[in-house]
Amino acid sequence: MSLEYRIAAFVVLSAAVMFADNRFDYLDRVRYTLGFLTAPIFWVADTPARVSYWIDDVFVSHGDLIDENQSLREELLFARRELQLLAGLASENQRLRALQEASASVEGSILSAEIINISNDAGSRRVLINRGGQHGVVAGQALLDAHGLMGQVVEVLPFTSWVMLITDSRHGTPVQVNRNGERAIARGSRGEIPELELEYVPDTSDILAGDLLVSSGLGQRFPKDYPVAVVTSVVHDPGQAFAIIKARPLAQMDRTRHVMLLELPANEAEVAPVDGSVPAWVEVTQGEKPAEPGPAAASTDAEVQVDVAVPQALPADTTAAEPAASPETAPEDMPLPSELADIVPEPSAGQD
Amino acid sequence: MDQRNNATWVVYLTFVVAFLLAVVPFPEWAMNYRPQWVAMVLIYWAMALPYRVGIGFAWVAGLLVDILDGSLLGLNAVALAIIAYITLSLHQRLRMFSSLQQSAVVLAMTGLYLMMTHWMKIAADQAVTSDLLFLLGALSSAFLWPWVFVLLRQMRRGFSVR
Repeated sequence: MSLEYRIAAFVVLSAAVMFADNRFDYLDRVRYTLGFLTAPIFWVADTPARVSYWIDDVFVSHGDLIDENQSLREELLFARRELQLLAGLASENQRLRALQEASASVEGSILSAEIINISNDAGSRRVLINRGGQHGVVAGQALLDAHGLMGQVVEVLPFTSWVMLITDSRHGTPVQVNRNGERAIARGSRGEIPELELEYVPDTSDILAGDLLVSSGLGQRFPKDYPVAVVTSVVHDPGQAFAIIKARPLAQMDRTRHVMLLELPANEAEVAPVDGSVPAWVEVTQGEKPAEPGPAAASTDAEVQVDVAVPQALPADTTAAEPAASPETAPEDMPLPSELADIVPEPSAGQD
Repeated sequence: MDQRNNATWVVYLTFVVAFLLAVVPFPEWAMNYRPQWVAMVLIYWAMALPYRVGIGFAWVAGLLVDILDGSLLGLNAVALAIIAYITLSLHQRLRMFSSLQQSAVVLAMTGLYLMMTHWMKIAADQAVTSDLLFLLGALSSAFLWPWVFVLLRQMRRGFSVR
């Protein structure tokens, strides 16, 4: 008899615990503390992989090392060259942003991590990384690999954290098409193949197979402009209200072990613009839903700023670049193009 | 003397090994065939030492599985507690069964365990799986049961766990 009472008591207790864990975050502390107990298990479970990596590193021939070194050197050289180009682009971008009075996008620092386990739950796509609360990880941080966005931290344990991949069917990533800025939400597919589906995209939208999708920064979870996926197929079904668009994530979800954790955007504290400056995540150039004080302040300020800034930039050799670049960066903003059109001919005429 | 009499550390050790086997990464295609190690070890000890490994023990073990899985706290706990309850109420008969009959019972119990966790995950919006292929894990558990049973019985006798 007592057995029945005990099981009934435990069922009730479990139901209460599950309800509390699902609805409130009282139990996060308990989870974190229990995480200390389970950390060694993950550590031991990861040992074979670690040993095999160690063996790969140690038992490698001299010739292979030289070859690898050579190819890494070349790769570094290419990367450095691209970085140089990038430096030029970044400074140009910064000048243009200054023209528009938009605050510069902040580059957060990164924390390297390794994937040490994957979720054994067939219904979800999550991975475990070897960084946790003791390393300063907080929920919501974005995870990247060398090729693109992978996911975000959903649960922090002391020495490990669970990361939900962007291919999880419960995960939606705000993206935009790199070619034209068309925005969409990329949701993980429900099928067996780990891919992304663009949801609620109108049939008329300009998205083609092969388009690169980058993170749009809307939702303030992921940083802006990180590559996310490549569109693989676009199907216009007359029977469906929206286009069926599938994309393949760029991050190597099931092959990579070395990943990067991105710091949360530091500008979260200054979401409310104090001095009329617009936070980086508000897209002034093509903003459809900016914050209320944002667009008015930004556009008026930009008008003033343009008047001031162009004469300053006039003597420099950047004048040739600016008339070409500014119409690209501010095509949809109402007041700017006309203002620029008024101003731009002057310096070029002056230079002639 | 006391420690010699009831070497309960063996029970804990087998559970730790079961946790380890439960989190060892499997290739994608074998994901559904993953044997339910924790449930199997629990069934054995609840059958062999019903006065030592009971519902409370199973519940705590399940809580640790929840942390390992990153699932809702209490989800695996209640499922394992129910498995322990069934085993405890059947343990006299289970001990008399042949290994084939025991395998059949293990098939039913691990299947029930997987089904219960699946239902709760769906109720809590934790998983979206349309197929029932994950029940193949019960099949592999039942297939492995005779070996698990013999191994654990050897350990219980060798260390005279009581």
